[in-house]
Amino acid sequence: MSKLSSFSLRGRKALVAIKDERDASIVRRQFERLGIDSTAWAPGQAIDFAPDVTLIDDELLPLEAPFLGHCPVIALLGTETPSRLKLVFDLDPASFLVKPLRSAGIYAAVVMAFERNERTNDLKQQILKLEQRLRSRRIVLAAVLQVMHSHALAEPAAFALIRRAAMEQRKTIEELSAEIAAKGIPPRAATNTL
Amino acid sequence: MTKPSVPVGIICSQSGPYQAMGREILKSAMMAVDEINNQAEFDFSIAAHVRDPRGIISEYHTVCDDLIRNVGVEHIIGCYTSASRKQVLPIVERTDRLLWYPARYEGFECSDNVIYVGASPNHNVLPLVRYVLDNLSREIFCVGSNYVWTWETNRVTRELVSAAEGHILAERLLELGESAVGHIVDEIIRRKPPIVFNTLVGSSSYDFIRAFRAAAETASLDIPMLSCSLCEPELAIVGPASAGCITSSAYFESIQLSENRAFVARWKARYGEDSSPSVDGQSAYVAVYLLARALQRAGTSDIGEVRRAAAGYRYNSPQGPVWIDGSNNHCVLTPRLAVSNARGQFDIFWEADAPVKPDPYLTQLDVAAPTFRETSKGGTSPNAPHLRVVK
Repeated sequence: MSKLSSFSLRGRKALVAIKDERDASIVRRQFERLGIDSTAWAPGQAIDFAPDVTLIDDELLPLEAPFLGHCPVIALLGTETPSRLKLVFDLDPASFLVKPLRSAGIYAAVVMAFERNERTNDLKQQILKLEQRLRSRRIVLAAVLQVMHSHALAEPAAFALIRRAAMEQRKTIEELSAEIAAKGIPPRAATNTL
Repeated sequence: MTKPSVPVGIICSQSGPYQAMGREILKSAMMAVDEINNQAEFDFSIAAHVRDPRGIISEYHTVCDDLIRNVGVEHIIGCYTSASRKQVLPIVERTDRLLWYPARYEGFECSDNVIYVGASPNHNVLPLVRYVLDNLSREIFCVGSNYVWTWETNRVTRELVSAAEGHILAERLLELGESAVGHIVDEIIRRKPPIVFNTLVGSSSYDFIRAFRAAAETASLDIPMLSCSLCEPELAIVGPASAGCITSSAYFESIQLSENRAFVARWKARYGEDSSPSVDGQSAYVAVYLLARALQRAGTSDIGEVRRAAAGYRYNSPQGPVWIDGSNNHCVLTPRLAVSNARGQFDIFWEADAPVKPDPYLTQLDVAAPTFRETSKGGTSPNAPHLRVVK
């Protein structure tokens, strides 16, 4: 499935935990206008669906059970005191709204939460990739040393050789390096060209 | 026995870059007020308190504050640009008053203290751009005033055009009131785009249309122009160069409804045979009537009661049946497309089969949807083969 635009709200599901009924009714009305399905929730209740976004009133903090879920959180702030903000940080909110709520601001907070979440997920993916590459650096180094030795090459030339071979075999440098290091043989493409 | 009177504030600029529209709004609002005050149907009269912010943004806040604090109005009719509405919004929300806003706007707002009487973006830019994509071109050159209306109109246009695998050839912006349009006209003549979308407002638009038409004629180019705001009084201001503009609007003077023919006749009797009502003016007229009927039904000027009384109440206005959608305080109305002609009027070539619900957040918008599916049964379709853009 292709990624939804952060601006596309129709049909999204929201979990809404708001203490004050006036604030809750403003969110309900605005969500109706935006085409968002909202489900009211109170701490302790079971959640039987996967929400796309969660709104949490700061008055309900701290939550007894750690709040589970991978969806973005919008925090509703009644006070800006650092002690309360620290509790809010535990939710890692993607955006926030200031109480008392009005219809203005809700659309932007929801869109921003989706966008923030999307970008954070992209960053996490990138970090994961970088970590993997970092871990395989030892293997690349081992392969480079081996090729330097077997082909009597300087380090830049050995690395270039591995990179070219990896490209020709449609593998990543890390994959090919692992093969070289494991089998103790120089790259096939390299032997062919030498 | 004299009727009790309800004070109503009217805020519209009588000078500044969009003075022409401000004057139209005032003329139409006052016509409605006078009509209502002379009708037995209403057991109250409206005392209009007119304020002129002179097109100065900060003045809107000042005059609104004065109307609420010193005159004690609960209902205000007026504002034109979104910037002016945003100035008034915090006061009407804080003091819980009701602003009856007549202009079409870009959407993405839904205050409980505003009744949005003009067209929403789904009434306005959507049918126009879809018509163009279906019938004229998938490449559009955009020129507009540098403010939120243009930005958002261009954003929606770009999404629709991209979904149709077309291109926005350029997005050129001019400051409000700017009259130096030559460089943009030169660029258009040089690049010869198949279509130009004009979202300039006020005097910039008039200057642009004249310069563009003159240059196009010299270069023997026939480039159609689009607008979401052009109206009859503006056609008169621009002169002969204004002909041939494809325009999206909820109101045209040429609407053939008995309510409109009577409205136009009363208008001409009051303001002169040569003058014409406009979409924003007519909308202000509608706003005053919607307010008056809601006041009558509610039996109080309390804004909660009036808002409830206004919701869903159908009014056969000059532009046809309209009512307020209680779920978002925006107006249900009939979108139309027309081409301006050499007589300073619009030839309507398409209208929706029925009044269309407002969608201020464009939540129902599916950019990839086949165009006009929802409105093409019966009536005149913009796809009709006999259609030709009149030069």
